[in-house]
Amino acid sequence: MTYQKISSIILLIAALSSCKKFQDFQVNPNNPTIADPALVLTTLERVAFSTVSTDASLACRQLVYTQSASNSQYYGWQRGGFSYSYISQTVKMEQEAARVGKQNYRYIGKFFRAYTIVDMTQRFGDIPYSKMMQSISNNNFTDSSATRPAYDKQEDIYLGVLNDLKIASDSLSAQQTAIGGDIIYNGNIGNWKKLINSFTLRVLMSLSKKESNTTLNIKQRFNDIVSNPAKYPLFISNDDNGRLPYYNITGNQYPYYNDNSMKTDFYLDSSFVDILQGLKDPRLFVFGQPTPASGLPANDFNAYDGLVGSAPLAYNTGKRGQGKASQINKRFAYEPVNEPSLLMGYAELQFILAEAVVRGWISSNADSLYKKGIEASLNFSDFNNTYSGTDITNYLAQPALTLQAGNEIKQIITQKYISMFMNTGGQPFFEQRRTGFPTFETAGAGILNGGKIPKRWMYPSDEYTNNATNVQNAVKAQYPGGDDINGTMWLIQ
Amino acid sequence: MKKTAFVIAFFMAFCYVGLSQNVITGIVRSGVDSSVLAGVSIVVKGMPGGTTTNMEGIYKVTAPGNATLLFSSAGYSTQEVSVDGRTKINILLSQSEKTQLNEVVVTTALGIKKQQKTLGYSVQEVNGETMSKTKTPTAMGALTGKVAGLNISNTTDLFQSPGISLRGKTPMIVIDGIPDPDADPYKVNADDIESVSVLKGTAAAALYGAAGINGAILYTTKKGRKGRLSVEVNSSTLFQTGYTVVPKVQTQYGDGDQGKYEYIDGSGNGPEGGGWIWGPKLDQKVPGTPSGYYETTQYNSPTDPNTGKLVPLPWISRGKDNIKNFFRTGLLSTNSVSASIGSDKGSFRVSASHIYQKGVVPNTGVNNSSFNIGGTYVLTPRLTMDAKINFNKEYSNNYPTTGYGPPNLLYNLLLWIGPDIDIRDLKDYWIKGKEGLQQKNYNLSWYNNPYFIANELLNGYRKNNNFGQLTFDYQLTKDLTVKFRNGFNQYAINKDYKEPYSYIAYSYISQGNYSVTNTNYFDITSDLILNYKHRFSNDFNINVTAGGANHYRNYKGAYTTTDGLTIPGFYSLTNSINALKGTSYLEERRTASLYGMVDIEALKFLYLSFTGRYDKTSTLPVAHNSYFYPSAGISAVLSDVLQLPKTVSFLKLRASWAKVNSGAVDVNNPYAHLTVYDIDQKWNNVPSLSWPGTYKSPALIPNTVQSGEYGLVLGLLNNRINIDATWFRNREYNNFANVLPSQASGYTSVLTNANVFIRKGWEFVISGTPVRTRDFKWETGINFSNNHLWLKEATQSPDGYITYTDKYSSSHLVKEGQRTDRILTWDARTPDGKAIYNNNGMQASAKYAQPFGYGAPDWFYGWQNTLSYKNFTLSFSLDGRLGGLIYSTTNQKMWWGGTSPGTANKYRDDANAGNSTYVGPGVVVTSGDVNYDSHGNILSDTRKYAANTTAVNYISFMQTTSGAMLNNYFYYKGTYLKMRELVLTYTLPSRWIKGAFSSATVSLIGNNLFILAKLPNVDPDAESDNLQTPSMRSMGINFNLKF
Repeated sequence: MTYQKISSIILLIAALSSCKKFQDFQVNPNNPTIADPALVLTTLERVAFSTVSTDASLACRQLVYTQSASNSQYYGWQRGGFSYSYISQTVKMEQEAARVGKQNYRYIGKFFRAYTIVDMTQRFGDIPYSKMMQSISNNNFTDSSATRPAYDKQEDIYLGVLNDLKIASDSLSAQQTAIGGDIIYNGNIGNWKKLINSFTLRVLMSLSKKESNTTLNIKQRFNDIVSNPAKYPLFISNDDNGRLPYYNITGNQYPYYNDNSMKTDFYLDSSFVDILQGLKDPRLFVFGQPTPASGLPANDFNAYDGLVGSAPLAYNTGKRGQGKASQINKRFAYEPVNEPSLLMGYAELQFILAEAVVRGWISSNADSLYKKGIEASLNFSDFNNTYSGTDITNYLAQPALTLQAGNEIKQIITQKYISMFMNTGGQPFFEQRRTGFPTFETAGAGILNGGKIPKRWMYPSDEYTNNATNVQNAVKAQYPGGDDINGTMWLIQ
Repeated sequence: MKKTAFVIAFFMAFCYVGLSQNVITGIVRSGVDSSVLAGVSIVVKGMPGGTTTNMEGIYKVTAPGNATLLFSSAGYSTQEVSVDGRTKINILLSQSEKTQLNEVVVTTALGIKKQQKTLGYSVQEVNGETMSKTKTPTAMGALTGKVAGLNISNTTDLFQSPGISLRGKTPMIVIDGIPDPDADPYKVNADDIESVSVLKGTAAAALYGAAGINGAILYTTKKGRKGRLSVEVNSSTLFQTGYTVVPKVQTQYGDGDQGKYEYIDGSGNGPEGGGWIWGPKLDQKVPGTPSGYYETTQYNSPTDPNTGKLVPLPWISRGKDNIKNFFRTGLLSTNSVSASIGSDKGSFRVSASHIYQKGVVPNTGVNNSSFNIGGTYVLTPRLTMDAKINFNKEYSNNYPTTGYGPPNLLYNLLLWIGPDIDIRDLKDYWIKGKEGLQQKNYNLSWYNNPYFIANELLNGYRKNNNFGQLTFDYQLTKDLTVKFRNGFNQYAINKDYKEPYSYIAYSYISQGNYSVTNTNYFDITSDLILNYKHRFSNDFNINVTAGGANHYRNYKGAYTTTDGLTIPGFYSLTNSINALKGTSYLEERRTASLYGMVDIEALKFLYLSFTGRYDKTSTLPVAHNSYFYPSAGISAVLSDVLQLPKTVSFLKLRASWAKVNSGAVDVNNPYAHLTVYDIDQKWNNVPSLSWPGTYKSPALIPNTVQSGEYGLVLGLLNNRINIDATWFRNREYNNFANVLPSQASGYTSVLTNANVFIRKGWEFVISGTPVRTRDFKWETGINFSNNHLWLKEATQSPDGYITYTDKYSSSHLVKEGQRTDRILTWDARTPDGKAIYNNNGMQASAKYAQPFGYGAPDWFYGWQNTLSYKNFTLSFSLDGRLGGLIYSTTNQKMWWGGTSPGTANKYRDDANAGNSTYVGPGVVVTSGDVNYDSHGNILSDTRKYAANTTAVNYISFMQTTSGAMLNNYFYYKGTYLKMRELVLTYTLPSRWIKGAFSSATVSLIGNNLFILAKLPNVDPDAESDNLQTPSMRSMGINFNLKF
């Protein structure tokens, strides 16, 4: 009998001794807990530079959606979403950079923070800024000031952003340890400085209604950059564009590549077609398809017709059914690489500089800057060499294109509007909100929001659940009519 | 020691021989039909050995004249008969009845058998017999409607596991005492199941520790029996012949939009109408066309050789029966054979079975084969060994993809095909000259040809399961035994996925892909259990169990996929265009435990039970990874001590209390308590990481369920009527919850211990035998149950609200005191439920989601009946649910896309003619305003309404709103009644089969016969609408032969 006892005990010992200790299970073998900041930078870049969005084009009367009534197109949108989780990634990158002592990541992180904050504040108004990120930065999960941060005034936010951008530009250094994982500029610090400075000019221009604000001192800041190209280099060509190229690898393709909806539901807006036809702009040939009913070749301006963004859905689907509508160009759905997505391009910078000249912030030749911008845009959009260099020269030579006194801002912003078709996120919407150009047509019977173009997005519903007191205070302080899409924020007052 | 035992036994045997010994013979018959019973075991009480009846039911046994004989046979009550000097004793064995409440023995935690009357908690046992005839793809499915508190939701899709919820949560699965964390419902063959015991509450399963926090379902598989060789063959064949629920579509309008359709190139653009089914009316006579009908170009139009243009074809309804024409008759065939034999020394049983399921979708099917062998052997008089090993293989070369989307067959067959297309014309699914490269279909931007999906988009699955256990029992002293048990589960899965060229997904058109997943799993559970049993007096018995356990689990695997295929149709990883992509994973976990149980039986009617368990787990931070939890139960059989009215034959009250902790943050991820980077996308082959939005608190402690359960068992009229009622209340606290800070804090959520929930429910089982005569008997049982969950305290939220996600709706707000299964809608409605419109005539949205109803049913119920008349037995089972809302994707998409029969109306004709005539039912706000607090509660409402009068285009209206307000926003009442199964069995009279079989039955089976439901077009059995396969009726036959 004893041999059975012994064998049982041996079995038991064998069973227990083969076990790993409990401490050994406290490491997840599938995912890392620390990493080189380069790995996080790739994520940050991929997200920030992916700006291609049909929502912006629908809200800007460049495209019309035919599958159902779109809230972007009919101005019936309500709440937006915050993107603080993106800033959390920059904090993480900065922490990893501090751990390995690579300073440059810190300043690139400052740029991404500024970029995200600007994107949010121009949508909502006041947002948490000075008290944000305390949980991830300081491991503070207990104080309500950390978990439910207070909102900052938009003016203070812009001041902070401008200061941060300056620090980033001043401090980035090619002498420091090189950055890796850079899918935008391949570690070229000089190009990063160009992007940060050019972007700073965009932020300053977006504050054009605050020209006289002495705290922000916009004109001075603008001049500081433009007048010192050695210290503050700017984009000098399309090669410097802050752009994310696409690749024919699954997941790296153009975001609407093979997208079912892009193949069937998006048509050019008639007001956009009118502008392009009016200017005899060859970009029409790369933006749209000829209508099936016209039977004309693609390089004939008369081959194109649009739908009406404000008209009821039935009008648009009806016109489409008759073959009288120009679909968005097939390249957007059928080309895996198509064109890059822009965070900011050289053309936009030229339009900003031209506008600054018109506004008297700097002195230079507005018309020549503006034409450089147009030329850069035509070059950027010339998919598959659809139009030639001569076409571009001829286009620029048209008298109608030259800046006309008293009309400069309209012309500059209209060209900026055309140049941003499907490439720079919601920027044309914010430009229109600031300047009123071009006019977005709202006369049709399908329009919502009482025919008004919304001026903002309502605060996200998660803030009402998770940070109720602060968001309510922010609404009270800014919008007498409550949290509403028609409220006018400080920036555009 | 061995020798001593033998000598003692020998002398004892010799002593008996010394008394007057008689040879007793007799014949044993069934009390049901007087047929002779073979294989009945006859034992002389208090003596070793025994015998069994032969084929003629005759037995012969030697016993003293004053002895007592025990007659026992499966399915019959054990009968004790005093010999009283007789030499011929004929016996009628009566069928065992669950009504003998005092005798019922059930399997409880750790596989310990206990008398049901001693239990302080609710356990319901289902006999394996109930599964041997009615065949479902899984044994689990056969439990549907049979256990109060257990809800099985059965999907109609092939090779998908049924949903299991016990008191609203997912219980653990235990097979022969060994936990099966994988809970694969396909791995146990129903024919091998002796019984299924459902331990409903936290208290019942407290001995299993954390894994048993939600109760447990224990499978006990069949074992070899003492006696002569017995062989059983069970064979069933069921055909899925008809539809219980099949979606009904309109047949008057074809593909297109706004009444127009003209095929150009299949891209869906322009006059092709974007893929909608809102096209021109079919079968319209138009003079002057070659066919006399309206004609337009279609996908199968020939090209005119002269003009190069497509030739218009008549626009007629050819596809009225597309669904029925596409699906085929499914088949479920199950065959099993088993053999068992045993002696005094031991017994064993072997079995083999095969289940073949032919799917109703062409080119789909599942095979499931099982083999097992198990046995018991008395190694020495004190040491017994029990072992069992099972091998199971599940394999399918293709099974359909589920869920709304382009790979779903119904997506392409029901929702997005017009009746202008006859599905049979698409059977030849490649475009001529582009075989292997381009599928043929009427739309090449959105939809796939269903035949192409069925034959070319292939999900392959092969799983090998091995599981079993080895147990040693050693009798240390008369009162003290020790048990050492090792059980394991192992499986290997090989999955592959073949995606053909031109397959259309939402975001891409495939260049072909092939992916392979290989997974290996292993777990081992070792228990060492000491048991001490002592009978102090007739009034006081004690039973103490103490044990230790170790559980280890290892799961690893790898997934590899191509990025495009260079050679179309060549499915190999070497054929990738871009670099291969893949992931690998390893998950390990361990739990070490000590546990104990004390059962006390006092005063012949009072039963007390206490358990305690101490766990140490690897799935929590080391600082808080060990925890203790107790349970206590009491049962009082009052009918044994009190003088009760004569009608009351049995009365028991029971109560139990348990507190169980669990350290499993996520049962599927042992590292869920660690904050780590997520592996993000590669960009042009540059790798990236991202930090998660959820921070996992390093101070996590186990979560706890504290459960109280109270019950009553009442037997009336000699137990002709039995009532079992249970009420339970669980307090769930320290839950692992994602507490939401403002995302401006840097995290979108923090995983911590938070919130208190209360779960309450009732369970009733009423059973009885309303009619019992010599030839006819009707047994019936009805059960109904419910359970609901309330938020008691939002511990981390100062305003008492949490954001909660459950199976009924995605994240929604719940306030302290509210039920958690609230359904909310963002569509604006008046307080009395009328739709509010915008000034453009379309449904308005609300600023805050407003409550709309509840998702959980008010009650689940089931009703089982068995009627026997002579050799015939008819059993049938009905079940269903009452109340609770189910969202229907199928119905919503049918109204949206234009295939719902409700969309065929005059407004549609008007819209086709270009007129806007439809006025949505409901109101517009004419004045006033509504104010909400920050959680969407209405503070003041001064809105005044007038009827909506804005006429809109009917088609645009449907495309924008789906007509949701016409159909309660597609939340349908989940109430239904289903005829689950019907079995008519004929037992062949013994004189017919004499010499060939010991028993033979033939049964006609019907499953899923009909349903009465509020939800149209979809079977609500699955408790959700996932665009599942139509619900099929199964009919077939079963043969059961015993040798």
